Amino acid sequence: MSQNLEIRRSSASVLGSLSGIRSVPTVSKYIDTTTCIGCKACEAACIEWNDLRHIATEQTGTYQTLPTLHAEFWNLIRFNERDFDGGIAWLMRKDQCMHCDEPGCLAACPAPGAIVQYANGIVDVNPDQCIGCGYCHTGCPFDVPRFHQTTGKMAKCTLCVDRVEVGLEPACIKACPTGCLQFGTKDDMVAMGLKRVDQLKATGFQSAALYNPQGVGGTGVVTVLAHGDHPEWYGLPRDPHVPLLVRFWKSVLRPLGVVAILGAVIGAFGHFTKYGRKQVEGSEDEGTNLPRLTRQ
Amino acid sequence: MAAYQRPRPVDQAVIAAQTQENIVVGNEIIRSNRASRLIHWTVAVLFFLCLFTGMPIWTPVFGWMAAFFGGLSVCRVIHPWAGVVFFLASAVMFVHWFADMSLDSSEREWIGWRLPMRYMRYETDDSNVGKYNGGQKLQFWLVCLAALGMLLSGLLMWFPGVFPRFLMELGYLIHDITFILFAMLIVIHIYLGTVAEPGTLVSMTRGTVTKRWARLHHGRWYREVTGQEPDRG
Repeated sequence: MSQNLEIRRSSASVLGSLSGIRSVPTVSKYIDTTTCIGCKACEAACIEWNDLRHIATEQTGTYQTLPTLHAEFWNLIRFNERDFDGGIAWLMRKDQCMHCDEPGCLAACPAPGAIVQYANGIVDVNPDQCIGCGYCHTGCPFDVPRFHQTTGKMAKCTLCVDRVEVGLEPACIKACPTGCLQFGTKDDMVAMGLKRVDQLKATGFQSAALYNPQGVGGTGVVTVLAHGDHPEWYGLPRDPHVPLLVRFWKSVLRPLGVVAILGAVIGAFGHFTKYGRKQVEGSEDEGTNLPRLTRQ
Repeated sequence: MAAYQRPRPVDQAVIAAQTQENIVVGNEIIRSNRASRLIHWTVAVLFFLCLFTGMPIWTPVFGWMAAFFGGLSVCRVIHPWAGVVFFLASAVMFVHWFADMSLDSSEREWIGWRLPMRYMRYETDDSNVGKYNGGQKLQFWLVCLAALGMLLSGLLMWFPGVFPRFLMELGYLIHDITFILFAMLIVIHIYLGTVAEPGTLVSMTRGTVTKRWARLHHGRWYREVTGQEPDRG
C-alpha cells in the first residue's frame, strides 16, 4: 500500500495540512520481544537504508552494540539480562522512536514544521526546519531524539517514511529473520499482538501483555512483552505521558506570558490616558533639555 | 589667505558629562556620565538582541522576528551567545552601580504593591528622594537578578541531551517565567523613562537633566548637588 503524506500534526503550528479528502490508515510496527534472537540484522539494515555513519561500538558488558541511542544509531537492540528461577534470561527490546499518537516531541518543538506527524501516524523530524534546540528530547517520554553534533539538528527513527510512502516495509522489518518484526496497519498489528499474547498466556506466561501505552494515545510501535506487568524490566516506562511541565509550559505559561507582556504595553497606554505625564505645571522640561550650544 | 574659521561651538554640559556626574552646568545638572550611559545602552542593546532572537523561539506568534536575523536557526545560534554577553554586560553594570542602589529603610516599602501604585498615580512626595528613587533601585536589582536567572537556566537549555530531564524542565520554567516578568518590567521602565516622565530619557542620552526635573523627581539629590534649598517647583 503506497501512502500519500499529508500531515496530521505539525510542531509550533495550529493546524497540520490534512485535507481530509483521502483517508489513510495509521501504520504500526509489531515487535515480538519473545521471538527476538538478538541477531541485530535490524540494526544493520537501519544503518544501511538511512546511510548512517558507522560509529564505534561500546562494550557494555553484554552483547548490546551501544549503551544508548545515538544521532547516527536509531535502532538499538537492548539485551536486558534478568535472573529468573530457571536461570538468566535476555529480555530483548528494540529501542527506537515509538511514533506516539500524541507525540511529546512535537508538543515541545518550537520550530514550525520541524516535527511532523503524517496522516499515517509516522512522526518525523524535518531537518530543514529543525533548529537543534533539543526541546523534543525533553518532551519525549522514551528518551529517543538525539542531537547530532555535526549537523546541529535532532535525529531519530523515521519509521522509514521514505520506504513506507512508496509501499515498502521499513528496513528493519525487511531484515528480520525470525518474523518477530512485522509491519502493517495499526489495527492489524494490535490484533496480531493480542493473538500472540494469548498464545504466551497459554504457554505459561500469565502476565504477557501488549505494550501500547494509552498515556501517549498509543504508539506506532506495539510490543509484545512476556512480562507485561513489568515493562520497566525492558527499560520501558510503565505509564508514559507527555511531561506535565511541557504541557503546562506550552499550553498555559506561554499564552499567559504573551497576554501579560502585551497587557503591560496596553496598560502603559491606559496609564497615559488616565494620568498623563508627571511634570511640573507648565514645565518647559522638554524644550530646555534640547542641546543648546554655547560659544566658547 | 586662510579662511576665517568660526570658533567651534562647545557644549559645556556635554563635555562635563563625559567624566563627571552630580554637578551643575548652567541650568542643567549632569546625571549620567559617559561610562554610565555606555554601560546602560550596552546592556539595553544586548537585551533587545536576546529579546528579538528569543521571542520567535518562544512562540510562533513572534516568529516573524526571526526574519530580521536570517531565520529561526540563526536565532538559535545567536541567542545563547548574545545571552552570555548580556550577562557579562549586566555584571559590569552591577559593579558600576550597586553602591548607589542599596535600598535604605524608607525605600523598603517599594518591595510591595501599595507604594509603587501610589507612585504610578503620581501621589508620592519626591522632595526627599536621592539620586535614585526606590523604584529605580528595585529595577536595578530585578534586572541583575533576572540576568542571573536567564543565564543559569539558559546554560541548561543550550546543550541538548546533556543535563537530566528534571533540570531541563526546571530550566525551561525559570527561563520562561523570568523572561515574562523581565519583559513586563522593561515595558514599564521604557514607558516611565520616555513618555510618562518627560526629561528623563535625556539623562541617558545627553547625560543631563534640568534643574526643574531634578527638583520634581529627586528633591534631596537636587539639594545635595546645588547646595541649596529647593524653591517653588
